[in-house]
Amino acid sequence: MNNQALTPESTAETREIVLAARAAGSRLLPAGRRTWPGAGGWTRDGGTTVSTSQLDAVHHYEPADLTLTAGAGIGLDHLARIVGPNRQWLPFDAPGSSAGTLGAAVASGTSGPLRTRYGATRDNVLGLEVVTGDGRTLRIGGRVVKNVAGYDLVRLFTGSRGSLGIITRVSVRLFPIPGADETLLFTGGPSEAVSMARTVCTSEVPVAAAELVEGEEVGADRAMVLAVRLLGGPREVEESRRRIRAALGTEPWRALHDGESRRFHTARIGWEAGASLVARLAALPDRLDAALAAARACATRANGGAQGSAAITADALQGLVRVRASLPDVDPPTGLAETLATARRDMEALGGSLTLSHAPPQVATRVGWTGSRRETAALTDRIKALFDPDSVLAPRCP
Amino acid sequence: MIPGRLTKELARICGRDAVIVDRDRLLVYESDALTAYRHRPGAVVLPRTTEEVRRVVQAVVRHELPIVPRGAGTGLSGGAVALNGAVVIGTARMNRILAIDAPNRRAVLQPGVINAELSAAAAGHGLYYAPDPSSQTACTIGGNVAENSGGPHCLKYGVTSRYVTGLTVVLPDGSVVKAGGQGREAPGYDLVGLFVGSEGCFGIATEIEVGLLPVPEGVRTLLGIFDRIQDAGRAVSEIISAGLLPAAMEIIDGPTIRAVEDSVFAAGYPTDAEAALVIEFDGLEAGLDDEAERATRFCLRAGAREVRGARDEEERVALWKGRKKAFGAMGRIAPDLLVQDATVPRTTLPAILKGISEIGKRYNLIVANVFHAGDGNLHPNILFDRRDPDELERVEHASKEIMQLCVDAGGTITGEHGVGLDKKHHMPLIYGPDELDTMWGIRRVFDPGAVMNPGKVLPEETEPSHANRGQDPARGELVGAPAPA
Repeated sequence: MNNQALTPESTAETREIVLAARAAGSRLLPAGRRTWPGAGGWTRDGGTTVSTSQLDAVHHYEPADLTLTAGAGIGLDHLARIVGPNRQWLPFDAPGSSAGTLGAAVASGTSGPLRTRYGATRDNVLGLEVVTGDGRTLRIGGRVVKNVAGYDLVRLFTGSRGSLGIITRVSVRLFPIPGADETLLFTGGPSEAVSMARTVCTSEVPVAAAELVEGEEVGADRAMVLAVRLLGGPREVEESRRRIRAALGTEPWRALHDGESRRFHTARIGWEAGASLVARLAALPDRLDAALAAARACATRANGGAQGSAAITADALQGLVRVRASLPDVDPPTGLAETLATARRDMEALGGSLTLSHAPPQVATRVGWTGSRRETAALTDRIKALFDPDSVLAPRCP
Repeated sequence: MIPGRLTKELARICGRDAVIVDRDRLLVYESDALTAYRHRPGAVVLPRTTEEVRRVVQAVVRHELPIVPRGAGTGLSGGAVALNGAVVIGTARMNRILAIDAPNRRAVLQPGVINAELSAAAAGHGLYYAPDPSSQTACTIGGNVAENSGGPHCLKYGVTSRYVTGLTVVLPDGSVVKAGGQGREAPGYDLVGLFVGSEGCFGIATEIEVGLLPVPEGVRTLLGIFDRIQDAGRAVSEIISAGLLPAAMEIIDGPTIRAVEDSVFAAGYPTDAEAALVIEFDGLEAGLDDEAERATRFCLRAGAREVRGARDEEERVALWKGRKKAFGAMGRIAPDLLVQDATVPRTTLPAILKGISEIGKRYNLIVANVFHAGDGNLHPNILFDRRDPDELERVEHASKEIMQLCVDAGGTITGEHGVGLDKKHHMPLIYGPDELDTMWGIRRVFDPGAVMNPGKVLPEETEPSHANRGQDPARGELVGAPAPA
């Protein structure tokens, strides 16, 4: 990857860069702060990085409307400091997002554990300004919370990973920060933890997130920890806590309140940091056990049979399990690609998927970043061609 | 009329009783709920399965006729109107719920399932389907997908696209494509999100996977009565600013209150009031009273004359009645109704409402407002009689001015009803040539032959190859002539 990044200071300048690259037949790689080089295989050799990090102005913020429009390069940390004093937040908690930019969060389109409560990233993006691969500047969507005027290009661009255009400006929906934020940590063995998670996720209590974490990561003496996050008014949270305890028939190992709870989850956002292998295994929530088993097989293989750095975590509400590992620079452990491929087949047999977010080139080439999507490939090709006919930008999504 | 050969072919695919070509029976299909636009379809065909839809699409395309998908015909933008003798593919018989997967809180269904019936079927599992268009007892989920429908409770829960997780779609080339499905982590472009709200222009969804939510344990409903509509608008803004997130906040204005109270739907709202604000909180019982009390205080502080609370389900239904029956009640005042659907930033509501009222006065028209105040999604209803050509012209002018007013305030032309025929000529108010061009391009990605619901969403004059095309009669003017008796 080229270390020199172009950093346009306006949408017009971004467009000039795209037009020049197109005319020269060269390639560009859209990026934010470049905290996640290589994520999801959207890099390739020979491209020049275009970072929108200089496009970080706030263009419009009306607290009473709970909407904000800013340049794509604004850091999510910076954004939080701007809206926080009004007791508002943007509940984007995708892996790695706290260090990144708003534009990168939208381009990656990944959502975190708060998705069930607040909607996915794509549900909270109201409008975008983008410079397409053929050099058009488009303003799509708007800055109001309900908008069905025309086809939903905002959703198409959210998660398009820099393959259709460079996002230069974003309008998002904000939310009030709930009065109470509490996280209950329950410990148990591997299967016990899954069954606790199922109990919580199918209860009538509106939990904001439910994650499984390996015990040693948080200093627990059991194999797994179930972290149940409760957000709402103080009375609602208190009542939820009472019912969760009753449903599980046990006291939490620890209960984290407000600041502590927020710090715990902020740290969770950074869970993948520094890992050279990250795989996401998705299935329906009631098949979490199967996804966990497949993930454990991948983790064991990534460790090369020995004690290693590999770890797993799961978002029980969504049925999503992640594996992370720091692999040796030279040769990935033998059989890792085969184990990942087997895990993908297992997940696909359940109607789910296995996607690589990070992987060494030798592994990614053999496994593929995602499973094949032959059915939609023709549509996807035509969409790519509509916005980026000369493939100036990142490769098309699968 | 369609060629006899095609009629026979369609009858072979779906059965003779599933093909309607009789002129009188086609009358039912000549408009949607926005009755100002009427065009009689060439035929209506009612398939039952994805395979039948696929074969019907292929047959119609072979005969070079356009296709219009149609749910229950409750749409409010003329989106299901069949222009140029198009063949309507109705989903009325595709009304099976294929699975309710309670452990994973999702359902898989055919597009013709009625919105409220899905919630009724899920109720046994303690679940429901959140988006609740006012027409939910009649409208279909397929129609909701096409329009990306909203509803009063979308303030807290979000609109249709948040809940659609998978689709099986028959494309105009007769291919069947599955996108998303089995949960939410589908890699690649968000084709499901792109399809939702495409107003029947990309294909026909024949199987839909949606997410369900647990039925809230408790509900508190309040009704604030105001002497000035601006005060009601201010109360809404202050409730949201304070960090409260009601499930719904709806305003009914004075003219609407009087229409309702004069009708069989009388809900007991004071007829001298200028606004009624319905506020609803839901969730765990604990904490709901607190929230309701805080909202009550905000209403009173903003100048509410009184705030009523519903003590039980019966009272709750009564408080909602004026809101839910508003459209029906307006039918008594004038034979025709043009309902608009602009969304504006919530904080601009007081100024916008004043502006709408002035436009109404200037064109001597009755404009009655019922709307989703929490979302800033307005529904100004212009009442008129389309047999009066002068009035019809004033309606068109007023309509455009209201739209412009909302756009100038940072809003958009439609929040939940869709563009359809009704608003396609307003699209250039919010999008420039490049954006419109791109939308034409996306449409062709799915439908290169322009057979799916042509003449909707995008104005013809913005079509990139427009100069080379013949005159298209599919213009979106209001139909001036009275309907055949």
